Amino acid sequence: MKKIFGVLVIVALSLAAKPAVAHHALQAEFDTAKRGEFTGTLTKFAMINPHVRWFFEVKKADGTTATWEITGAGPQALRQNGMTRIFQVGQTLKVTYAPARDGSNTGRVVTFTFPDGRTVTMYHEDPNNPNDL
Amino acid sequence: MNQLNRFGIAAAVAAAMSLVSLHAAQYGAAPAAPAARGAAQQEQNVPTPRGAGGHPDLTGMWGGGGGGGGAAKPDEKGNLTVLQRGRPCSKQQFDAGNCAPGINFERDSGVTQRMGPEVPMYKPEFWERVQYLDRNGTKEDPEFHCKPGGVPRMGPPAKIVQTPTEVILLYAQGNQFRVIPIDGRPHDPIKSQDTTWYGDAVGKWEGDTLVVDIVGFNDESWIEWPGWFHSNNMHVIEKYTRTGNTLRWEATVEDPDVLVEPYHVEGRTLRLNPNTKATLTEDLPCEERDSQHMVTHERG
Repeated sequence: MKKIFGVLVIVALSLAAKPAVAHHALQAEFDTAKRGEFTGTLTKFAMINPHVRWFFEVKKADGTTATWEITGAGPQALRQNGMTRIFQVGQTLKVTYAPARDGSNTGRVVTFTFPDGRTVTMYHEDPNNPNDL
Repeated sequence: MNQLNRFGIAAAVAAAMSLVSLHAAQYGAAPAAPAARGAAQQEQNVPTPRGAGGHPDLTGMWGGGGGGGGAAKPDEKGNLTVLQRGRPCSKQQFDAGNCAPGINFERDSGVTQRMGPEVPMYKPEFWERVQYLDRNGTKEDPEFHCKPGGVPRMGPPAKIVQTPTEVILLYAQGNQFRVIPIDGRPHDPIKSQDTTWYGDAVGKWEGDTLVVDIVGFNDESWIEWPGWFHSNNMHVIEKYTRTGNTLRWEATVEDPDVLVEPYHVEGRTLRLNPNTKATLTEDLPCEERDSQHMVTHERG
């Protein structure tokens, strides 16, 4: 795992090309100024365009289970940075995300915390910037 | 549409002016830094490779060298911060530390992308429709539903293979390809009545420029992202000009059904990828899962 993490570089590649820019409607879907958090079991990792998806099962306090869908960068960006196999079904991950504006169980990933405590932080914008709405 | 759009964003002009460099970066037309400009000139000064009939050989991997940034390394605990910046910056900007994180990047880039010097002039009866499509792009844009960009929105290819009779265009996005006959044939009478995303294309050389004439489009694709629709009578002329190790792509859109005059697509100039081992990789399938969650109208 450590070796794989070592080869990661900035995931900004999909934003560098103009045609890809048109695909992004992040702010229309997620409130990038807010953060939510859950710990859940990864049930599926989908390498799909225009953005990869992580699906989770999350146990709620009342004993029932909720399903969550987290979105990230474009699949090409993850491929080019060696990130395609670091997420494994069955892992328990803590997820920090920018929540959906429509209140659904979806979000844009900010940070994954792996079972061994290591984190992968994937901001989309500067979380310390108060003007980042 | 042109005027309406301009009035609609007049209040944002001042803000947009401060973002000219962002706009230019997105169009690949940024006033280049002296070093970069020198490199581009050098690449134009090498001899243009030529193939059959003495015409330029467009074969090669084009572009693909940009994007990305410096490497992010895990800290001593193995934690990694992968800062995905909301603002597209060139490698030179990253290296020089001039790529600040985006603030409201989609709203900003939406404004600046509408500030291009050339916009299509629609007949007045279509202004309302263009405005509607533009404002509701998060639901109406065909690309948001995993449909092809089509010509000319798909832009220049990532790879070209040229034979004496054909030019084969290969695109990184969506595993798309186009085959352009350059053997002097006219449009096929059946195919030119088809309604497709890429249309029926035939190419010919005008001096050192390959001119591709395309008809037979559907009316589903957009010319560009701000709601710029077209009819299925659209006629596109693409021009490909290789100068040394650079490739200039531009296009003109004629659509007398909806436009009052031809629209010139600004185009882009690409460099030959210097990595001789560079190759196209499979693009993964597109699955539309966002549309139902779009609440506001930002795009960029």
